[in-house]
Amino acid sequence: MIAIKGFKHGLVIVFWGDSSNTPWPTRLRELEAKLSANPDFFKGGSIAFDVKATPLSEDDLRHSIALLQSYEVTLWAVLSEDEATRARVRALGLADRLTPPGPAPAPVPHQTHEDTPFPTATSSSTPATEAPPLPAHITPAEEGYIEGSDGLLVRRRVRSGQVLRHPGHVVVIGDVNPGAQLIAGSDIIVWGKLQGSAHAGALGDDRAVICALEMSPCFIRIADVTHIPQPSRRRSRHKAGSITMARIQDQEIVFVAWGGADRLLE
Amino acid sequence: MQEKVITITSGKGGVGKTTTTANVGSALALLGKKVVVLDGDIGLRNLDIVMGLENRIVYDIVDYVEGRCRLRQALIRDKRAPELYLLPTAQTRDKSAINPDQMIRVCDELRKEFDYIIIDSPAGIEQGFHNALAPADRVLVVTNPEVSSVRDADRVIGLVESHQKGPAQLIINRLIAERVKKQEMLSTQDIMDVLSTEIIGIVPEDEAILSSSNRGTPVVFNGKSPAAIAYRDIARRLIGEDVPLTLPQPASWWQRLFGKTG
Repeated sequence: MIAIKGFKHGLVIVFWGDSSNTPWPTRLRELEAKLSANPDFFKGGSIAFDVKATPLSEDDLRHSIALLQSYEVTLWAVLSEDEATRARVRALGLADRLTPPGPAPAPVPHQTHEDTPFPTATSSSTPATEAPPLPAHITPAEEGYIEGSDGLLVRRRVRSGQVLRHPGHVVVIGDVNPGAQLIAGSDIIVWGKLQGSAHAGALGDDRAVICALEMSPCFIRIADVTHIPQPSRRRSRHKAGSITMARIQDQEIVFVAWGGADRLLE
Repeated sequence: MQEKVITITSGKGGVGKTTTTANVGSALALLGKKVVVLDGDIGLRNLDIVMGLENRIVYDIVDYVEGRCRLRQALIRDKRAPELYLLPTAQTRDKSAINPDQMIRVCDELRKEFDYIIIDSPAGIEQGFHNALAPADRVLVVTNPEVSSVRDADRVIGLVESHQKGPAQLIINRLIAERVKKQEMLSTQDIMDVLSTEIIGIVPEDEAILSSSNRGTPVVFNGKSPAAIAYRDIARRLIGEDVPLTLPQPASWWQRLFGKTG
């Protein structure tokens, strides 16, 4: 069995159960089924595996990386209870634990060659870009799981180029700037101005909703229904009283001003 | 720790990083500080041109890093201020000639002698940007009152935060008060709605900048042009003086009548 979990710095795919009777290629096919069912949820992301006690060979790891790559997903860490597997993971340049990415390491350490590579998107902005580490003054209680539920609570402004991806709900206390991206398996709630893009129900849940105090997104999606606001809607972003919920009704995204929401949620 | 290394960056090109570096560095030197301005744009050298010191370059930062000269030999003294120096960059190499660790080491050397090291970052968010960011104690992000430059500034402010170099401070460059009033240009408030970071200076659009860049004399060296005043105010804020931020105002009817602008 495979589970997708979110943590503060991205997604973890957990491979539960005894693997001795399930060969790794079979488990990868199970993962591929998940990836191909909801490619948009994963696309462009960085994920980690938690393989529990399953020992993986170097080939197993390489096949996993290749499979993810074909869905534009980067494997950055593999957690394992098996020391030999962890060594192979490190040998491939992957992390073997979920250390919160600190200040991104100097992209090109100690190289003086002429052909020093430019830092690539994956080396310089791996999970750090997905969810930048917290500024020192924010305590962990302010960002991370909402205890007892499946969600990511982020208490800051989400800036251009930053992506928050979580299999459960995503809640932002703060504005979501143009160029920022929220991707949630379930609902999205923005206590602030939503100007970036938001994809709720990205794992297929068409009952998911997107709520914002000010709804002026670049575009929003719920499950596989996309809505691109008309320019007139975007210009009216400074209008007061635009607390809005977006949901799917008859295969279309409809916007409901606050007050009508409880009626529609029934 | 005193904030000695100040990196000036923007994401987008052409917003005025180099002009800002030249003027803020010169203004700090005129306040009696010992200052070096460092061109971080390897391969697209132009801080030396804006400073008017191009013809005095013998060695550059890449020569120093690769051991062909001593640091002192690469530094060019600018005689217009008591203690102002330029560390030029190489014109014939590219960004990969130096890495962030080497940049940190160069700045550590300079820290021993200078009060302020002002780094002119290249545009973009690739290695040149990381080189300029690595040694920074303080980051100033330059933006114009225009949507795409604000979008890039937002991206850069986020990157500065994630490298634990934040919060970045903002310089709004080339603001035209008349056009803001007519709603043809983003206002300071529009910019703050998106970026919400501290503003350290607002520099009005000023024709004096163009001619001064072409002559190689930063505006702060002569005169009372609006941009010169704004840059001197930024320098005073950097050394900790409490200089209130003033929004550029549209010219009144009598200013227009007598041909004064700004």
